[in-house]
Amino acid sequence: MKGRIRIRLSQGLLLAFFALVVLLPLLGMFKEMAGLDVGALLTSRPFSSALRNSLAVTSVSTLISVSLAALLAWLTVRSRMRGKGFFVLLFTLPMLIPSISHGMGLVVLLGANGVLTNALGLRGHIYGFWGIVAGSVMYSFPLAFLMLSDVLRYEDSTPYEASDVLGIPKRFQFSSITLPYLRRPLISTVFAVFTLIIIDYGVPLMIGGQYKTLPVLMYQDVIGLLDFGKGSVIGLVLLTPALIAFLMDLFNREKAPLSFVTRDFQVRENPWRDLLAYLLSSLVGLVVVLPIGAFLLLTLVRKYPSDLSFSLDNIRRALQMNAGVNLLHSLIIALFTGLIGMALAFAAAYLTARTRGRLAKALHLASMTSLAIPGIVLGLSYVVFFKGTFIYGSLAILILVNLVHFFASPYLMIYNTLSKINGDLEDVGQTLGVGRLGIIRDVLIPQTRHTLAEMFTYFFVNAMMTISAVAFLATSATRPLSLMIPGLEAQMMLEGAAFISLVILSVNLLVKGLFGLAAKKREAYS
Amino acid sequence: MAQDKLIIRDLCKRFGSREVLDKISFTVREGEFLTILGPSGCGKTTLLRLLMGLEQAEGGTIHKDGQDITHLAPSLRKMGMVFQNYALFSNMSVLGNVEYALKKTGRDKALARRTAIELIARVGLTEQINQKPATLSGGQQQRVAIARTLAMSPDVLLLDEPMSALDVDTRLALRSEIRSIQAEFGSTIIYITHDQEEAFAMSDRIMVMRQGSISQIDTPCNLMDQPADDYVRQFVIHNIQLKIDSLIRYAREEA
Repeated sequence: MKGRIRIRLSQGLLLAFFALVVLLPLLGMFKEMAGLDVGALLTSRPFSSALRNSLAVTSVSTLISVSLAALLAWLTVRSRMRGKGFFVLLFTLPMLIPSISHGMGLVVLLGANGVLTNALGLRGHIYGFWGIVAGSVMYSFPLAFLMLSDVLRYEDSTPYEASDVLGIPKRFQFSSITLPYLRRPLISTVFAVFTLIIIDYGVPLMIGGQYKTLPVLMYQDVIGLLDFGKGSVIGLVLLTPALIAFLMDLFNREKAPLSFVTRDFQVRENPWRDLLAYLLSSLVGLVVVLPIGAFLLLTLVRKYPSDLSFSLDNIRRALQMNAGVNLLHSLIIALFTGLIGMALAFAAAYLTARTRGRLAKALHLASMTSLAIPGIVLGLSYVVFFKGTFIYGSLAILILVNLVHFFASPYLMIYNTLSKINGDLEDVGQTLGVGRLGIIRDVLIPQTRHTLAEMFTYFFVNAMMTISAVAFLATSATRPLSLMIPGLEAQMMLEGAAFISLVILSVNLLVKGLFGLAAKKREAYS
Repeated sequence: MAQDKLIIRDLCKRFGSREVLDKISFTVREGEFLTILGPSGCGKTTLLRLLMGLEQAEGGTIHKDGQDITHLAPSLRKMGMVFQNYALFSNMSVLGNVEYALKKTGRDKALARRTAIELIARVGLTEQINQKPATLSGGQQQRVAIARTLAMSPDVLLLDEPMSALDVDTRLALRSEIRSIQAEFGSTIIYITHDQEEAFAMSDRIMVMRQGSISQIDTPCNLMDQPADDYVRQFVIHNIQLKIDSLIRYAREEA
C-alpha cells in the first residue's frame, strides 16, 4: 500500500513539474497578448504575407522531402545495394548540425559568391522561396528518411506471400496491401516534417532574404524589437500545426494495429534496381557532403574567394569572439540536458509504462506535450514567465528549456522499451522481498542501458545544435556555440559561422560515434 | 489428518464495479497439492495474487498457520510465487537470478551462493548455470523461476499456470518434477491451471472455480463421481470424457 502511495506521489510531483515548466509559461505568454488588437495584427500585411510564405514554403518542402525520403528509404531497405550502412550514415549526418547551417551551406555553395556559383559560373541567385525550400528539404530529409525506412524495415511480408499464393496481381497488391499499410505512417511522417519546417527560423533567416516566414517574423519581433506581445501572437499561430500534428499522431498511435507474426522481406536479385539505388544514394550523399566540404574550405583559406591560401585566421578570429567559452557553455548545457533529461525521462516512463491508473495516463500525455510546442514558442514563454526569477540569465534555464523542448522523443524511446519488458518483474521483486527501487536498479536499468545511451545522445546532440528555444534566453555570459551562427551571419562573417558549424558537427559525431561504438562492443561481448 | 495450512474466509475482490471474487472461503492443508481449475477470467489468478499479498482484498481474511496475514507484506508471508511467463531477470545469469534475492535480503554472500548452486543442481541446470535466460528453453526457464522462488525457502508455493507456454513433452516432465520437489521440500502447493487433465494428474484436491466463486472443492475421484452441479459436470468431466473418447477412437483406428 505504501508503495502505491509513493508511486502516486511521484506521478503527482512530475505532473506538477510539467505544469510549472510547460503549462504556466505558455499561459504567461498568452497573458502577454492582453490589450493587443490581435485581429488587426492577424490581418496586417507583414503577418498575412509571412503566413502565406510559410504555408507555401512548408507545403512544397514537405512534398519534396517526403517523396525523396520515401524513394530512398524504399531503395535502401528493399535493395541489395552495396554500402547501405555508409549511405544511411551519410543521410542522417544533417541531423547533427543546426538548421541554420543548412541555409548557410546553400549560401556558401550557391550564394552570390558561392563555391559552386564561382566554380561553375552560375548566374541568378538562390535567396528567397527556392532557397528556403532547398534548405528545408536538406534539414528535414533525415527525419523523413529514418521514419519511413523504419516503417519499411518492419513491414510484414506474409500478406504479400499470401496474395502470391492466391494469384493476386502485383499492381493490386500495391493498392490493397502496401498503400493501406503505409497510410498511417506516411501521414505521421508528413505531419512531423511539416511541423519541423514550419516552425524553423534557421533556414529562412539565413537564405530567405526578403522572403519572410512566420518564425523569422517572430524572431525579429522578439530579438530585434523586444515586442513580446506580437511575438506571442505569432507563437500561438505556430502552436497550431504542431498541436494538430501531435493530436493526429496520438490518434494514429492509439489505433496502431498489432501484428503478431511477421516475416522479413526477401530482397530478390535485381541489378538495375540496385544500380539505381546506388546512383541516387551517391547523389544525395554528395549533396549532403558538399556543404560540409564548403565549410571546411571557407574555414581553412584566408579569404574565399579572393585569397585561397591556407590560414587559421578564421579559427583564430572565431576564438577571439569567445567561440571557446561558448563551446564550453554548449558542452555544459548538452551534458546536463543529457544526464538530467535521461534520468527524468526514465522516471516518467517508469511511472507511465509500468503502473496503471489515471495519473499514469495524465503523465503520459504531459510527457509527450513537448512534441506540440515549437522551440521558439517555448523559449518566448520562458522569457515571459521566468523573467526576474533567479534562474533567468543562468545556464540552468537553458538546460531546463532544452530538457523540456526535447523531452518527448527520448521519453517515447524508453516508454516503448519499458513497456516491452515483462510486467511481472516488480511483483516478483515483492514476493522475493526486493523493492521497486531494487528491481529498477538491478534489473530494469541494466536491461535498458542501450536505450538510455540513445536517450542521452539525443538530448546531447539536440542541445548542442538547437538555436530555437535558447535564442531568446541566452545572454553573453551563457551563450551556447550554436547561437554564434546567426550572430556571425548578421556580421557577414560566414567563415566564422562555417567553422562553428563544423565544430558542432564534430562534437556531435564524436558523441554519437562513441556511444555507437560502445553499443557495438557490448553486442559483440554478449 | 493433516493440519490446516491456510484458512481463507469470505474473501472479496472488486475491480471497479466488477466483482472478481465473491466471498470465497476454503481451507488448504499442510503439504497438500491443491489445484485451482477454471476458465480464463474466473478469478483464479486474482485469488492467487491475494494469497500472495500482491493485491489487497476488499473483505475477508487469510490465515496461515493460525496467524492473520491478510494485510501482511508479500515478502513476510513465507510464500513463493512462480509466474506464468517466468518473469526472469534477463540481464542476469541463471546463478544471478537464483541468488539475487538471497543477497539483497541480507543473507551471507557465500551461503547465498551455495544455496543457489544447490538449487540449480536440484532443478538440473548445473551446466547452464552461467547462461542468460534468453539462451534457455521454455522448460529450462521455468525451472530457473522455480529455483529462484525456492531460494527464499517458502513453505507455501503458488504456481500461476506455470506450464501454459510449454510444449506437451516438457509439461509431462515438469509435472513429475514439481511433485517430487514438493515431496522433497514438504511444501504446500497451490497450482493454477485451466487444463483439466493436468489438474487430475497432479492434485490431491481440485477447486473448480466459476465467475468468482467456488463450484466444488474435492479430490479428483469424488469430483468425477459426484459433480456438484451441471457446470462441474460440463466443464470438468465432459472435457475429460472427450479426451478419453478421442483416445479410444484413435486406439481403435490404429487397431
